[in-house]
Amino acid sequence: MIRKTTGTKTTGKKTPLRAAALLAALLAGISGAQADATLDRIKAKGKFTVGVILSGAPFGSIDPKTQEQKGFNIDLARALADKLGVALETVTVTPPNRVQFLQQGKVDALLANMQVTEDRAKIMDFPPTVFDRAGGAAIGRKDSGIKDWADLKGKPVCVSQGSNFTQPLIEQYGAVVKGLPSQPESLLALKGGTCVVAVHTGATLGLMLEDRADEWRDYGILIPTEIVPADSVVWIRKGEKDTAAVLDKALRELIASGKLLEIAKANRLLNTAFIEEQQKTLSAAR
Amino acid sequence: MQDAVRGFIALAAQVGLNFDFLTSPFELRMWLDGMTTTLVLVALTIPLSLVCGVGLAAALTSNRPWLAGPARAYVELTRNTPTLVQLMFTVLVVNMLISQALGGAQNNPLGAYFWLVAVISLHVAALHAEALRGGIEAVPAATVEAARGLGFSRLEVLRVVELPLAVRTALPAIVNNLVNLVKLTTIGYAVAVNEITYASLMIWTQRDNVVELMIVLLLFFSAINLAVARFGAAVERRLAVPGYGQ
Repeated sequence: MIRKTTGTKTTGKKTPLRAAALLAALLAGISGAQADATLDRIKAKGKFTVGVILSGAPFGSIDPKTQEQKGFNIDLARALADKLGVALETVTVTPPNRVQFLQQGKVDALLANMQVTEDRAKIMDFPPTVFDRAGGAAIGRKDSGIKDWADLKGKPVCVSQGSNFTQPLIEQYGAVVKGLPSQPESLLALKGGTCVVAVHTGATLGLMLEDRADEWRDYGILIPTEIVPADSVVWIRKGEKDTAAVLDKALRELIASGKLLEIAKANRLLNTAFIEEQQKTLSAAR
Repeated sequence: MQDAVRGFIALAAQVGLNFDFLTSPFELRMWLDGMTTTLVLVALTIPLSLVCGVGLAAALTSNRPWLAGPARAYVELTRNTPTLVQLMFTVLVVNMLISQALGGAQNNPLGAYFWLVAVISLHVAALHAEALRGGIEAVPAATVEAARGLGFSRLEVLRVVELPLAVRTALPAIVNNLVNLVKLTTIGYAVAVNEITYASLMIWTQRDNVVELMIVLLLFFSAINLAVARFGAAVERRLAVPGYGQ
């Protein structure tokens, strides 16, 4: 076998791959060749653009009176923008489009109720400081007899599409998970008897039971523990070390100074134990 | 098989596509179940919609107002409201009322899947009925009169004269409706019926591999609808009557 010059051969083999790569890049909207330009861009336009999710109080919602966005995510984004010394611009994102928005450069960072998972860490980066820990609580009729996560075996459980409680509910507890488009539909399905319990972020459910006590009087948080508590972080584009460093410093300052706890209390996060713990650790380290 | 999957994942990764979910048995099963569910839904709703469509068309073109009136009202109602809204309404509201009437959800055998099949079939049936009505009304009056003159009853005229000719006229529109029906099955995502879009959505919200799954979704539906359209064209050729409508 005589070795030929493989020039034509490799290009012949590579062209479809390269075309596919180009297509994939186009499809995924990967804006290539961006070293850490984000910081310069933020400074240049005088704006920090954050993708926020408005899935309900306390994290993000629209104030019916003023039509303003409000919530923990919005306030935290504003505090970070202040630390960067620029104005804040928010862009509303949803679970299917949030990562694309970040990768396409429509937003500089995401504060979209996204906890750390292995898969997310592969395609994005985050400043290592964790600002909250969120897990799932189960709401259901008080007379349903559910007392523990293990009681959900073989029972229908409602979640919002895209919640990270889906997999543990199915794999660890053998529940039959029904994912509905968003929390309001899931809770309506719970009331309609489609499922025995609905599992959502503990903070949101607690607030709802408090604020709409009359409507939900037959219902309660049935299981004392939360499922898969995971770390909430700020997400940024992969490889942006400088942005990560700046945001991390800002986050640490916000936590240590007690500003984050203020924001949490102002937005009525019922369980602030984690943030208080972080505050102790970080102020001691100062 | 395992090696083939791993090879495919590696190949896809080279062009920046993340198909890692294929290695997770739980997600893979859900995804394949989703494809099966979509195919089963299509197989169920196509014949159902055709049968109901013929019935509705017969009622629409009948001379009896007590038949034609309600049929017309139903067609207008279902044709003029979004299918997604109809589905949400039946699953979240109507089904809840049925449960209450039966004294609890445990006594109600009807679930989201039943309503999805019912809503899609009946919605597309209305579209078929309109297409068939056009076909029935296109049958020359002389032909119908001749059949009546030979002593055929109204129903017999419909069965052996009007419908066979109407089907030939309406086929392109009916195939169009069936292509739409295949795409309509995706509204199952809104009521947690595990069809392929719901399965994809549940996976991509965990893994953020929207692009990869979207590509598969598009190819999957293209393939089904290509088959539906080819089949429709073949039926058209088979049924073609020389000299009629050509």
